[in-house]
Amino acid sequence: MNRSLIISSVLHGALILITAMSLPFLAKKPLEIPPIVSVELIQIAEKTNIPFAPKAKKIIEKVKEKEKKLVSEQAPPKKVKKTKTKTVVSVDKNEKIDSKTPEAIPLPDKTVKKIETKKESKQNPDKLDKEVKQVSEFEKKEFVDLDNIAKLIDKAKEDTAEVIKKNNDITQDQDKNIVTSGLTLSEEDALKAQIFGCWSIPLGLPYNENLLVRIKLMLEPDGSVIKTEILDHARMNRPGQGFYKVLAESALRAVKLCQPLRVPTTGYERWKELQLNFDAREMLEG
Amino acid sequence: MILSKIFKNTLLILAACLVLTACATKKEVSDAIQGQMQSDVYTGTDTVEYLADGVPDRVFFATNETILTTASRETLRAQAAWLRKNSSINVVLEGHADERGTREYNLALGERRANSAKDYLMTYGISSDRISVLSYGKERPVDAGSNPLAWSKNRRSVTVKAN
Amino acid sequence: MKKNFLILFLMALLPIKAFALIEVDITRGNLNPLPLAVSPLSIDDKSKKSFEKILKKENIGSEISTIVENNLRTSGLFNPLNKEAFLQAPDIANLKPRFEDWNLIKAQALITGKVTYVDEKLRVEFRLWDILAAKEMMALAFTTVPSNWRRVGHIISDKVYERLTGEKGYFDTRIIYVAEEGPKTQRKKRLAIMDQDGANNKFLTLGNELVLTPRFNPTSQMVTYLSYFKNLPRVYLLDIETGTQEVVGDFPGMTFAPRFSPDGKKIIMSFAKDGKSDIYTMDLENRLVEKITNHPSIDTSPSYSPNGKFIAFNSDRSGYQQIYIMKSDGSDVKRISFGNGIYGTPVWSPRGDLIAFTKLHKGKFYIGVMRTDGKGERLLTENYYQEAPSWSPNGRVLIFYRETKTNAKGEGFSAKLWSIDLTGYNERLVETQTDASDPSWSSLLSN
Repeated sequence: MNRSLIISSVLHGALILITAMSLPFLAKKPLEIPPIVSVELIQIAEKTNIPFAPKAKKIIEKVKEKEKKLVSEQAPPKKVKKTKTKTVVSVDKNEKIDSKTPEAIPLPDKTVKKIETKKESKQNPDKLDKEVKQVSEFEKKEFVDLDNIAKLIDKAKEDTAEVIKKNNDITQDQDKNIVTSGLTLSEEDALKAQIFGCWSIPLGLPYNENLLVRIKLMLEPDGSVIKTEILDHARMNRPGQGFYKVLAESALRAVKLCQPLRVPTTGYERWKELQLNFDAREMLEG
Repeated sequence: MILSKIFKNTLLILAACLVLTACATKKEVSDAIQGQMQSDVYTGTDTVEYLADGVPDRVFFATNETILTTASRETLRAQAAWLRKNSSINVVLEGHADERGTREYNLALGERRANSAKDYLMTYGISSDRISVLSYGKERPVDAGSNPLAWSKNRRSVTVKAN
Repeated sequence: MKKNFLILFLMALLPIKAFALIEVDITRGNLNPLPLAVSPLSIDDKSKKSFEKILKKENIGSEISTIVENNLRTSGLFNPLNKEAFLQAPDIANLKPRFEDWNLIKAQALITGKVTYVDEKLRVEFRLWDILAAKEMMALAFTTVPSNWRRVGHIISDKVYERLTGEKGYFDTRIIYVAEEGPKTQRKKRLAIMDQDGANNKFLTLGNELVLTPRFNPTSQMVTYLSYFKNLPRVYLLDIETGTQEVVGDFPGMTFAPRFSPDGKKIIMSFAKDGKSDIYTMDLENRLVEKITNHPSIDTSPSYSPNGKFIAFNSDRSGYQQIYIMKSDGSDVKRISFGNGIYGTPVWSPRGDLIAFTKLHKGKFYIGVMRTDGKGERLLTENYYQEAPSWSPNGRVLIFYRETKTNAKGEGFSAKLWSIDLTGYNERLVETQTDASDPSWSSLLSN
């Protein structure tokens, strides 16, 4: 009897002791560390440095096709073999040219020049000169430096092949990124942020209808609007879709209000025609 | 050092337990003290008037309810007895609701409450010819307060002499 | 095979443009009210003097433009800019605004106009300009008797509202309500009618008997309401023009919660007898009465759908007040409210797409809307006590009333009309001369 009593009281005492001792742990509040807010600074760069998605081939093909066209527009209609690489090269040049003084001619250029000297010019020198002159009249900010392209085309293809290889290796990433969307992510964000501020969404719109207005813009290099065109124009006058007209007008006002638009500083050819898809649904559905 | 801490904590636990057990719903305590409400039905006599000695003129209801409580039935039995004695008197039963509801529904609720009382009077032999029913919904509160006690006083059916 | 495929592939690639059209998605904007300028309407001196004599108003041109300004501002969708900043004079602006001037003050739209006294009539012409596009959007002219000058302001507001939002306006309307006075235990209530902006307030009954829940008919010329005339609560009809009142039907008990059918030919209401309330209709022409619901529960607050085919109503057949829908003949009853709490006062939107209601949950009152199948319930506002929403004719704005708490002494009671936009924005007090409750919105007067 005594023994069991002793054991019982000891165990009970132990229990109370444990409870009492554990109180301090309960009393202490866990330190509340405020969640770390990550602030992303988006710089408006010409190129977006995102690791590329596995669609390399397709897009490189696309690039090549695009470059092909581009070159054929600007250069005299000479043999256009392997022009793809040439434009790549010039892009590099452009970048570097912009960052440094216009006079500075970076390494790739030098290599090109080397090629120049090696091979004979096949083109008519006069024609070449003309082109060069024309080029110089144009804005230096042109995506493709016509001067260099012209030179490039003239040179023999074999040597440029070397250059091609080199540049391909170096510029793989940048190459792909130019192509995915006409605007880089940061450029797009900048333009969006600007227009968000200008667009007064009419509160009276029915929130459960199709609230998409697509507007095609033709822009000047400085971002001012030359022409606007509302796609789905027929919808403006359809009975029962009166709100569409109102929505379209609000989008047009936004564009006018926001002039000059925050356009990229280079690559005018890329974005001189732009389509803005105004969709009010997100805002109105709440 | 640790011992004193443990001692303090033990006392703390004991004190906390005592406090918690003591904290029953304060409201219930205060109302019970006043003796004015029971299960959401007014049991006081503040607003009650008398048709005759010992015959209160009204019965009370719980929120959203139209059921007669035991106390209500007692009152109505007294009313029925009085009406049998004074067979020339006709009455109007005026039904009311508290303000915590929509106006139109409260009109219907008042009517239903008054009708509850009427039915009960009829079971005690009062002819329906002598009783008419009128609802005021929440339009004529007897207590203008915005609290449960005031509301309970307003949830009523009042028997009014018609002649 | 492979060669063919290659050729096809190359061919397919050829027509690709140099650069694909870049698309940028704009999914956000601001919900700020549209800044616009309402220029005072220009008026020539001769007309000005005539109107001053007739209407006792110094400058009717600016009076009318003030009405437009106030209407647009209270809608919450527009921001009329301060007149002090206007650079152009009203008469010049009306002919050809200098858009740069108006652009300077950040106006995106401009209203100008002219008022003249012609053939003893008031003639108003107005123009709506798109400042950014630098062109005229709309130009209209009205002629009416001078005493109707306020309605001209409201009609202009409706036209501008419709042109800029795509929806019909709601400014040329009236509101009927119950004007309240006195102690809470013995309120004096009268029927009152006013313009939607609070002007032209008129009392329609004397206040000797209790009056409740007035509603307009579709033409806004008749009102149906509940009156305790001779201590008998019954549904009545009132002709606003003549003031004549008549009781609706010959019911042996309380009738209440009346509304008109969308074609104005019937009154739908509740009839209470023996503790239960059912919904009935009465044809105003042949006085035929039809019983629509037949249930031991309380069925009340009936409201027709705008096409007249369905009725939404309030019933406690499930134990507590909920919202039900049935066909107009009473068949096919379906419950549509299933959230937590008690639901009441269902009102079908004039657009037919939503039902507004009052909800009571955990001691708080809410005004909300739900789709006609009961889904998509949205609560717009919460208060100690509020109920009985009524729709504006364009189905965008709800007007309802609120009551305040009283203190321990039972003092401090007040009832006021409030309105809120369907989106939950723009909750505002509707000014009335006295305390007010039970508001009901008329249809557009100019139809």
